Amino acid sequence: MQISGDKTRDLKALKAMLPAEDILTFDFLAEGGIRFTVLFADPVTDKELLGTLVVRPLLHYSGERTAKAVGERLASPELRSFNDLRELAAEVLTGNPVLLWEGMDEALVVGTKKVFVRAVMEPPTGVTVKGPREGFIEDIKINTSMVRRRLKTGELKIKFMKVGRRSKTFVALCYLEGTARREVVEGIERRLKEIEIDVVPDSSYLADFLCSRPHALIKQVGTTEKPDVFAAKLAEGRVGVLADGSPIALTLPYLFAEDLQAGEDYFVPSVRATLTRILRLLAMLAAMYLPAFYVAAQLFKLQLFPVKLLLTIAGSIQDIPLSPSLEMLLVLLMLEVLNEASIRMPRYVGMALSVVGALVLGETAVRAGFFSTPAIIIVAFSAIGLYAVPDLIEVTSVVRLFLLLAAGSLGTYGIVLATAFILVELVATENYGVPLMAPFSPMILRDMKDGVVKFSVRALKYRPRVLNSANKRRLK
Amino acid sequence: MNRIAPRQLLLFLACLAPLLKLVLLPARLSAEVKNDLWLSALLSLAVETLAVFAAVLLAKRGLSFFELLRRAIGKWAAYLGCVLLALFFLFAAYIPLFEQKLMVQSVFYDTLPSDLLFAPFFLLSVYLCMKPLGCFGRVFDLLAPLSAAAFLFLVLFSLGEADFTALAPVGISGTGIFSGALHTTPWFLDGALLLPFLGKIDYQRGLAWKSALAHGIGGMAVLLFFALFYGIFQDISPVQFFAFSKTAKYFPAIELLGRIDYVFIYAMALAMVFTSLLPLLSAAELLKSAFGESKAKCLVYSLVLNGTIAALSSVFSFSFPAAEKLITGTLFWVFPLFAVLLPLALLPLREERRLK
Repeated sequence: MQISGDKTRDLKALKAMLPAEDILTFDFLAEGGIRFTVLFADPVTDKELLGTLVVRPLLHYSGERTAKAVGERLASPELRSFNDLRELAAEVLTGNPVLLWEGMDEALVVGTKKVFVRAVMEPPTGVTVKGPREGFIEDIKINTSMVRRRLKTGELKIKFMKVGRRSKTFVALCYLEGTARREVVEGIERRLKEIEIDVVPDSSYLADFLCSRPHALIKQVGTTEKPDVFAAKLAEGRVGVLADGSPIALTLPYLFAEDLQAGEDYFVPSVRATLTRILRLLAMLAAMYLPAFYVAAQLFKLQLFPVKLLLTIAGSIQDIPLSPSLEMLLVLLMLEVLNEASIRMPRYVGMALSVVGALVLGETAVRAGFFSTPAIIIVAFSAIGLYAVPDLIEVTSVVRLFLLLAAGSLGTYGIVLATAFILVELVATENYGVPLMAPFSPMILRDMKDGVVKFSVRALKYRPRVLNSANKRRLK
Repeated sequence: MNRIAPRQLLLFLACLAPLLKLVLLPARLSAEVKNDLWLSALLSLAVETLAVFAAVLLAKRGLSFFELLRRAIGKWAAYLGCVLLALFFLFAAYIPLFEQKLMVQSVFYDTLPSDLLFAPFFLLSVYLCMKPLGCFGRVFDLLAPLSAAAFLFLVLFSLGEADFTALAPVGISGTGIFSGALHTTPWFLDGALLLPFLGKIDYQRGLAWKSALAHGIGGMAVLLFFALFYGIFQDISPVQFFAFSKTAKYFPAIELLGRIDYVFIYAMALAMVFTSLLPLLSAAELLKSAFGESKAKCLVYSLVLNGTIAALSSVFSFSFPAAEKLITGTLFWVFPLFAVLLPLALLPLREERRLK
């Protein structure tokens, strides 16, 4: 639908497309006798900027009625002209007002979007003792600027596109040209363009469309809230996706080993980083397996306990009315409820809930003989252990339950079979041709320098081989 | 995803294939040839290494087992060959699966559990038989170092208890060494297990020699374990089944820390889940290469193979000793036929084709 040049008719058509009550118009008469009309969305337009950049310069305008001539008078750095009414309507909705006048050849769109942003601060999901503390926020422009500040090279490509039929969410595809594999970039771009969803409230909505097995429990898309981590991943040859309105950036292809790493690992000596990574891995494994082994040992294989420990446990559980698996399941369930509530509840009741949860429920349940002390200790350790690798918690907490069910029904052999199943699922997962479990499986010795073991930065001369980057060398 | 890398093949031969020989075989051999068990095993391992060498050499041609037969002897004969070999694998799967079952009952439970507890093993097997071969290559990448480390720790924990002089005098069993080797052929299948992988192995120069070497290393580990086993149990060794779960329990630290050896035993048991399934996986691979590998077909192969072996194992649930006696006493000749002679017999097929 093209504009006709008849202001009244075009305005009527635009208003018909935008029937909302917060779409307003503002008329003013320029010295030269041209009556301008500004169509804007009230809540998302910066009216002060509109007055400064548009109304004030045009009040004394007496030139030609072409968009080019009018545009030259405006002081806005973000000025575009359109003659398609649908595009103009879309711009109004994003906060950019449309300038119309009688006899126009094209309408002008002025970038005076009102931006509501919170301050750039340390993200709660990526707290570090040493290292950068900046985190992404909900504004895509500020987020891309933070990436651009870290990668001052023309090779950094940021492709913007709109995703979501109704939300028209801005999505930025970021990669280093010549470093990221072309097929991966094209694959992600194609999948983003193929998304037929109406609203994209957060980047996690996109993640589902970017992975090859959306129904699998296994995580297949990397996430970060930190621009330094994001930039480092781009530099390794990955592709990043930022969505307007979301502080969570997505990175692809994702490797399981990424979540064992923390940003801080690169700011401490490599020996320390290696130890921390091993600790994280062991903590995660213990958190998943300990409740299951405890139950399996009690039910089917008491030999797993050393004799003295067995006596202590026997003393603790003798009056417990529940079976070991049901007891462990209930304690874990209680933990999950507490966890869920403590995340969602208002902060001012946080202390009260902690007291109720930890002291009243935990302590009293043990004293009343509902649960045994070892069960509480194991679940408490398991709860803490899972948070050693916080990015995998959605997966590991479910795996812990799965293992517990296997242990409760089949004993330790159930755990072994469940582990075999999980292993095959893990090694079978690939995204954009990159195996999730690399560099452990398939085994790529060169990439293991930054797997569980962390070598010094000097030793990391090459980008990860598994990403098959065109530009293989990063250290000359 | 449907290929096996040379490294994965070597890891399998060196670290995983030997696991099948650690469950019942040491007790069986020691019952037959006492302290000469390692000589019988050495003989069988040498022949098996030759078969592995031949099988990997066949992989050089880049043809699947079916394709290899089809080009040499025609399509229908190739179908027949694949079905026969698949049937052999089904037959050969009986002992490893029963070993696995008995080991589970002994190692994983304090009291004898119901047979039903073993049923989920078949569910896992149905699922695994449908997966592409590359999955197993990747599993080998993860499990080979794990099982090697577990084996090493178990050996280290057991060394102090072993009296290696019990192995002397060497060769006292005479011809019994040969008969021991003959009656334990069901445990030396590696040559045949590689045949379904033909055409899916990324052959590199010298891979056949490397495979033989890797298999030899695995074989050395088996011999070391046999020596250790006999050194510890000596006269009572014929009744010491699932020895790998018992040899380390006399380690002094275990009294203080509890059965920490179970960590390593379970790690090996995890690897054994895959190795004991190998005959079934191989049968499924053969059928895939001969009759196509669409998802529906894979499901059918998997269900048929696992259904058959599950039915057999439940029918013969209480007669494993008799079945084992029949296999090792009467039908033992079937195994070298498929596991040794077949890979060797396939080697000249190329020459035949050239002449044509």
